[in-house]
Amino acid sequence: MLRANSLLARERMKPLAIAVACVLVGWLLSAVLPAYFVFLGTTAIVAMISLLGLGIVTGSAGMMALCQLSFAAVGAWAVSWLNSVDAPGGLVVWLPLGGLAAAAAGVVVGLPALRLRGVNLAVVTLGFAAAADLTLGKIQFPGTQTGIQVARPDLFPGDRRYFLFAVIVLALCSLLVHYLQASRWGSGWKFVAFSERGTASAGTSVTVTKLTAFGAGAFLAGVGGGLLSGQVGLVYPSSFTTIQSLALYVLAIVSGSYLIDMAVLGGILWVLVPELLKRFGISQDWGFVIFGALGIQSLTTGSNLGADLRAMWWRRTQRRRKSAEAPAAADAARAPAVPDAGTKVPAATSQTSAVPAAVRRPTSSAVSGAGALLSVRGLSVTFGHVTALSEVDLDLTEGSVTGLMGPNGAGKSTMVDALAGFLPQHQGTIQLAGQSLNGLSPMDRARLGIRRTFQQDRVPPTLSVGAYVRFIARGQASDERVEELLRFFNCPPPSTQLARVDVGTRRLIEVAANMAASPRLLLLDEPAAGLSHEEHVSFAEQLVQLPDRFGTTLLLIEHDLDMVRSVCNDLVVLNFGEVIASGQRDDVLANPQVMTAYMGELEVS
Amino acid sequence: MLQGASAGLAAGGLYAVIAVCLTLMARLVRVVNFSQVAIGMFAAYLAVIFAEQHLPQWAATAAGVCVGAVVSGLIGWIIAQWLPEAGIGARSAVSVASLLLLVSLSFILFGSKPKTFKSLLPGPAFSMGNVVVTQVTVVMVALALAVAVGCHVLLTKSKIGTKLRALSERPTTAELLGVPAKGLSIAVWAGTGLISAAAVSIVAPTQTNDPISLSFIIVPASAAALLGGFRRLDLAVVGGLALGMLQGALAQFEQMSVLRYWVPFLIIVVFLLWAERKEVWDVAR
Amino acid sequence: MISKLTKIGAIAMASALLMTACGEDTNSTKAAAAGDDIVVGSVNALSGGATFPEASAASKAVFDAFNASGGINGKKINYVITDDKGDPSTASQSARDVVESKKAVAMVGSASLLDCDVNAKYYQQNKILSLQGTGVDPACFSSPAVSPVNVGPFLDTEMTLTYGSEKLGLTDICGFLEIAGSTGPAYKAAIDNWSKKTGKSLKFLDDSVPLGSPDFTPQVIKAKNSGCKAVSINAIEPDAIGLLKAAEAQGLTDVTWLFLTSTYTSEFAKAAGSAGKGVYVPAEFAPFTDPNEAANKDWRALMEKNNIPLTSFAQGGYLAATYFIEVLKGIKGDITRQSVTDALLAMKPIENPMVGTPYVFGPGDKHGSNTAAWPVQLKDGAWVKASDTWMRQN
Repeated sequence: MLRANSLLARERMKPLAIAVACVLVGWLLSAVLPAYFVFLGTTAIVAMISLLGLGIVTGSAGMMALCQLSFAAVGAWAVSWLNSVDAPGGLVVWLPLGGLAAAAAGVVVGLPALRLRGVNLAVVTLGFAAAADLTLGKIQFPGTQTGIQVARPDLFPGDRRYFLFAVIVLALCSLLVHYLQASRWGSGWKFVAFSERGTASAGTSVTVTKLTAFGAGAFLAGVGGGLLSGQVGLVYPSSFTTIQSLALYVLAIVSGSYLIDMAVLGGILWVLVPELLKRFGISQDWGFVIFGALGIQSLTTGSNLGADLRAMWWRRTQRRRKSAEAPAAADAARAPAVPDAGTKVPAATSQTSAVPAAVRRPTSSAVSGAGALLSVRGLSVTFGHVTALSEVDLDLTEGSVTGLMGPNGAGKSTMVDALAGFLPQHQGTIQLAGQSLNGLSPMDRARLGIRRTFQQDRVPPTLSVGAYVRFIARGQASDERVEELLRFFNCPPPSTQLARVDVGTRRLIEVAANMAASPRLLLLDEPAAGLSHEEHVSFAEQLVQLPDRFGTTLLLIEHDLDMVRSVCNDLVVLNFGEVIASGQRDDVLANPQVMTAYMGELEVS
Repeated sequence: MLQGASAGLAAGGLYAVIAVCLTLMARLVRVVNFSQVAIGMFAAYLAVIFAEQHLPQWAATAAGVCVGAVVSGLIGWIIAQWLPEAGIGARSAVSVASLLLLVSLSFILFGSKPKTFKSLLPGPAFSMGNVVVTQVTVVMVALALAVAVGCHVLLTKSKIGTKLRALSERPTTAELLGVPAKGLSIAVWAGTGLISAAAVSIVAPTQTNDPISLSFIIVPASAAALLGGFRRLDLAVVGGLALGMLQGALAQFEQMSVLRYWVPFLIIVVFLLWAERKEVWDVAR
Repeated sequence: MISKLTKIGAIAMASALLMTACGEDTNSTKAAAAGDDIVVGSVNALSGGATFPEASAASKAVFDAFNASGGINGKKINYVITDDKGDPSTASQSARDVVESKKAVAMVGSASLLDCDVNAKYYQQNKILSLQGTGVDPACFSSPAVSPVNVGPFLDTEMTLTYGSEKLGLTDICGFLEIAGSTGPAYKAAIDNWSKKTGKSLKFLDDSVPLGSPDFTPQVIKAKNSGCKAVSINAIEPDAIGLLKAAEAQGLTDVTWLFLTSTYTSEFAKAAGSAGKGVYVPAEFAPFTDPNEAANKDWRALMEKNNIPLTSFAQGGYLAATYFIEVLKGIKGDITRQSVTDALLAMKPIENPMVGTPYVFGPGDKHGSNTAAWPVQLKDGAWVKASDTWMRQN
């Protein structure tokens, strides 16, 4: 235990150690490199910091933001202004203030992102960049008209020292990004990029997530802009033109700058390409042609330097590991559903032991007696002229496992959506343990203890299993509990990247993660789709245990009759949006109406 | 005020034509083409180069416009070839990269010295009181309307339009039914490239001609298209014309000089937030 | 994580090695094998939207000819041309490259939009002086380390207005300004000077014209409504073309346009076409569009030999290099940055028929020795002299 703790501590200290090492390398470089390269290096660092920010907004949170340098300009403007009014503290204090000013601008620009998505947002941010460009040309930076140069910190006066200062700022920014990416915010960004619905169902505010991404991205750009103003002394709008913002955006894609080391590489490319052109006496205009071509290449092949290098590295270590433990790897259990088979981690190999002894422990007995946990009255949902649900009544007993059945299009998923809060326009009432849920957002409902899984894959491949589970659990589960649940559902260990896990296993991880949130009610939308028959059986055995073990009530959409028989106590059958039967499992299954509606469908399909 | 508004109408006409092209692209081939005007700019500059080779003006312009269509088709081919299943975001990002590429390339090929754009339609068409309406204004507004109506008719009435719509709404099904997806999308790219190249060639002689300021007409044009949600042609046309007139009118007030950069942008944002106030979630389910 | 660190380190090292391995600049006039060449640098706008490549090209032609005729004391001039991309941080990078890495003794013939503003202080700190080929930004005319060869846009503005109001006798002159960087106060001061000296004032001054605006119709309408008989603007070529085209489209054809030297190019004359009627410009050097102008004979021959476009920029670069060689020849002893700086500070004014006033560097806090211009006008798509002598401003 002690050893584990010290290991963990060492793991936590690692980024700090790396940062310190980087600063030392920076110090060494600042001493040995020719003066000109030191200055170039500072320019590269400014770009790196902006790229780090872009990595958050575009790389992690998946929003197309084409105005990164406008944020940098806000930071530079704030720093120039603080300098021109001779504010106390010097650049060391002005830098974060400039970052905060940019972050404020970022949040404002991010507001449309709450409604606008994808490429619409790109249009808005491009408009912002163009307007900011013109405005800066008009108002200029404070100090340019009077020629007051931005003062560098007293400790870092010359170009060499200032480079060291820039390295320190970069190291701090990288640490910030590292910790942010590892935090709930970071998981939220990756989550919201993949699915807003998934984010909300995890009890996390989509609004906050998007705005923090914009804010953090802009903060970094602002720090970069501030650093630039200290580097050149007088700031000009021509450092922050729209076309450069576009180039930076493309570079962020090419390098994969959501990874810290790749942002560093991107910054180096940002100065290396022009510098090489200069060395060979080629016009600087070719620089953006090269970036443009690289961007097209990278986008059309769907790859970036970061991912490529990572994959290469992973394959190499994998090969090394394989040669070390050759026989064990031979029976990699599940065939990955994704074509790139070489890079996928085989799911947990020990599937036969359905219930590991380790998790056997007394039921958390919040469950007291059997009352109706969820009660639905007169639930109706219409989409235009189509009635998806009509006057549905439903009661779920606490600690029960209820199956929700019905042919395709019967309204099962609509039901789950309505319960989870995605259809606020529904009619009727929904109560959880006597509390009305009407008017509550999906996030609020998730926080009250209603969790759901999705029929489609809503597991962001950019996260690790552990980060994903922790994000869904919202601090409800300790690390031990997380590992326990993962083992219980035969899921791969927390450090595994979700990208390397096949789709069927992802569904299991999704269930495990939602259980880690200790929900009162878990809505499972065809969780077993994509599993083999044996896996089906073992999954069913696991599900049955959930109410007793964890005190969770289950509502399960399922087609597989074997599974329904073995798992559910109660059944509700929908057809054409109406409940045609509900009650004890065996009674419902014996109902002739159900037989015609449901079995008929089965025969047809 | 009125004068300013009518003066902005020529620009508005260009915005409207480009907005229609953008809307078509977004609907039919799932891309917001940020390089739409850059393609036109490239074509207009090429036309000048051709004219310098002693080609008659009309022939040079026609040749430039054709090359513009080919360049556009080429980008379309790249996207259709390698990103057939990708979402609109990834596809549009390609066009951001090609915008960057085209602008820099035109600096290299055409230099930064002003080019002799021969005016195709010089001077005023008519004037009412002291409001002058130029020939370019008349042609651009007519072109915007013609393109919008033409595309609407093509999409709703013709056989190829049916195929195109099928392709945009059910790409996989359409392909299974034997609609040549790749060919059609390249055709859409080339067609919109042709239209925008022609539009820019008409307007370029009356405007500041440097590659960046021409290419970034994409900003108000895409704002106009956004007004129609990248779906409605009529709103795109109205939006383009209105935006041009608004900018023209605002330019008459010196004190609003900073504000006028922002007004169109703000109007678009507010309009969109209102229009999409109900759509809360990213996907249907 | 550790692997990440090693990777970063490896990349950083590799790129540093790559850069140093690429070695000496290929832009230099001669393959700089000998360490005893005299290095002279320049910072120029060579790529992006506004480029001025002729100034440094002309300087290079002068230096090449000088080297071909034996150089000075057996030493050749190694002329380093750098590009600032119109970007401040690239401009300071380029200055550092030339001054610190290449050990230049002086800056000659630079033509940039922001070299002076960004680098003047740095030059001052490093005790290196710049004979700016084309100075645009205000610091070019207000720094102890820079003495431009050209008149500059500010004095040029005053002269174009003076010519319009005094020589052409124009009334109702309207002013438009495109403000880039820190130029605002300098332009306003120039206009104030004109008012003070002539007792006249502008009908209005609109300094809200966006730089690189695609459409100038709003400005044209404003001028038309205000009844302007003449319009003065500091626009560079593309914008001035845009303005003329918009005026033509709006039927505003009976005004006089008072532009600056930046539009005095053959391309501009051609691009403006019929819309260019009534354009007047105070040329900062002897008008090069007159093929018979005797003052330009040597310059024209050199430019044509080297295929350099005939522009004011080329004149500026040529003059800067010519002046510099003149000063160089007067130095006794070693040619170092120190001795060059001393010689420039102590130099006697140099006369040249290509300019109306002699050039001098000298020890002042600011420099601007060229205070004369030759008025030219656009007629039938070509530039012609509008006067038969210099117009000198005091």
